[in-house]
Amino acid sequence: MRALVTGANGFLGRHVVQALLARGVAVRAMVRPRTDITALAWPATVEIFRADLRSARDLEAAFRDVDVLIHLAAVVSGDEDQQFAGTVGGTERLLQAMADSGCRHLVLCSSFSVYNYTATRRRLDEESPIHGVPEVYNRDGYTIAKWWQERVARDFAGRHKWDLTVLRPGFIWGRGNAYLSPIELRLGRHYIVIGPRCRLPLTHVENCADVFALAATDERSRNQTFNIVDDPGRRIWRYLSDYMRGSGDKGWRLPIPFHAARAVVALAYKTVFRRAKKVPGLLIPNRFDSRLKPLYFENRKLRTTLGWTPPYSYKQCVARTYGKSQPPAPV
Amino acid sequence: MKAVLVGAGHIAKQHLSCLKTLKGVDVAGVCDLSAAAAEAAAERFGVAAWFTDYQAMLEATRPDVVHITTPPPSHFRLAQEALRAGAHVFIEKPATATYPELETLAREAATANRCLVEDYNYVFNKAPQAILSKIETGEFGAVTHVEVMICLDILGGTGFSDPNSPHSVLNLRGGAIADFLPHLASLAYVFVGPMTKVDTVWAKRRPSVLPFDEFRALVTAEHGTASLVFSANSFPDAFWLRVYGERMQATTNLFEARLTFDRQRKGPKPLRPFFSALEEGKAVRRAAFTTLANKFQGAAAYEGLHELLRRTYAGLMSGSGLPVTTSDILNVNQLVEALKPAEVAA
Repeated sequence: MRALVTGANGFLGRHVVQALLARGVAVRAMVRPRTDITALAWPATVEIFRADLRSARDLEAAFRDVDVLIHLAAVVSGDEDQQFAGTVGGTERLLQAMADSGCRHLVLCSSFSVYNYTATRRRLDEESPIHGVPEVYNRDGYTIAKWWQERVARDFAGRHKWDLTVLRPGFIWGRGNAYLSPIELRLGRHYIVIGPRCRLPLTHVENCADVFALAATDERSRNQTFNIVDDPGRRIWRYLSDYMRGSGDKGWRLPIPFHAARAVVALAYKTVFRRAKKVPGLLIPNRFDSRLKPLYFENRKLRTTLGWTPPYSYKQCVARTYGKSQPPAPV
Repeated sequence: MKAVLVGAGHIAKQHLSCLKTLKGVDVAGVCDLSAAAAEAAAERFGVAAWFTDYQAMLEATRPDVVHITTPPPSHFRLAQEALRAGAHVFIEKPATATYPELETLAREAATANRCLVEDYNYVFNKAPQAILSKIETGEFGAVTHVEVMICLDILGGTGFSDPNSPHSVLNLRGGAIADFLPHLASLAYVFVGPMTKVDTVWAKRRPSVLPFDEFRALVTAEHGTASLVFSANSFPDAFWLRVYGERMQATTNLFEARLTFDRQRKGPKPLRPFFSALEEGKAVRRAAFTTLANKFQGAAAYEGLHELLRRTYAGLMSGSGLPVTTSDILNVNQLVEALKPAEVAA
């Protein structure tokens, strides 16, 4: 089996390449033209295909002898239009090339951001409501782009009768990327912790990559959507404690109950910012919810359908993230 | 009037959000090579139809006005087809990649009795309009000189200098800076008129994929002189416009709401700087709050585009004059052409 992996040198992508190799899958890694891949230490068996999905036109060759496309690439910086053009336009170009090839299985990296947290009660799973039109256009650029990317993928898969596996990871964390948005509210070196007992839908990057490799190789994943979380979610307070211990941060933590903060945000929005078109995300109630709403997160479908259990426990993940540098997984 | 739009990127959203507010204007279609971009724009702004085929849109909608908001190299062909379909054309700057292409469009527009309007949005921002109104009343006196200076980090996250995905404007003579020449030229033109002589300096201070990151020009025009500057190496980002008149001087930063006037005063001459500074301080403090409020409103950067579109449609509907004429466009682009370097690359 041969997999084409887009965004292969990204935070998740480099682990997905390792996880695929570990399962005996041949990998063609798509990276941007100027990307330096020497530090990734991939074995010589990994084929490199250089292209930038934002502007590439000749992508057909990337799909030669490919059985499955694992599409991770997305533009996560820049303004809303740059993210839309890069993530959605890039996906359209990529899938058009796939349509002209023999590849019939697409594994898409979607996101928890497609879910409408405000409309979700207590438990978030694959059946939870996703954003609708026009409500999605009031969201941030990343959410709009990922929502549209999934829509485009489903449209192509439907038209070309592909097998589509949509994977929606929660917060992907790991070595080099543990500073997540719910803990980034700071005053100097001190942390303001809104909803300290709220759960974070976490998936450690190595656990998450394992799901992608499994989905690419397991027939039962086809035409399914899965959320990727390692467990029901870690409390923000606990995650922040581990982060501060691991990163050596010495600041204070000021806890603010979620519902008190939510009430202040809702009141400010109704009275001051109601007519404003541009407001910081945390001051918009529905965006506030999608960062911090207290929910219980499910990975039951992953466990029951694919028999997946995370290769690493939370404690092991903490050690792998903040401990001494880990050698690459054996291939 | 029935309007359609081709190119559903960043600036298209500004056009669409304005068109939705104009009475008597119906946006009948939006077109983009990306089906997702076209459909998203249509959904977001309540446009009835979206297309990926430009000709199909022209045929299906029979528009009165076509807005061209695609990357510059495609403008000429799209504008030509719109004029031939009997539509007026509102075109984003730079209108065409070359001056001869613009002359062709102007000729075809005149033959077809259609209007061609290029977006000079900053001219229609509140501050330049306030200065122009003081000039009109005679309070400002005749303009002797204008300085326009854009400081913008095009080597940073703007997408102009990404080595992985070359930006379409890099094909223009002057590279990314050429994309800003219509702003500089239109502001110079509106204050000192058509150019008669130009001296330019193009330079590069930092390594990048851009051919140039610095630009200077001294323009002699019919009613005065202008100095035009673009710098990718001066921070923070700013868009300074300084107008020097026989009785007043005006300074504004078009990225903000700041606009100050200095003038001759009665009373002892040594106290003039003191009272001028007090007045300027008051104006700057007021502008700080306006700038903050504008940030929340989100449209401040494109207030001029909204005003220009409002006046353009009012002119088209009433048959009265347009805020930007074909003659203005030819004069501005003559200056743009003279400002460009001889070759694409340094």
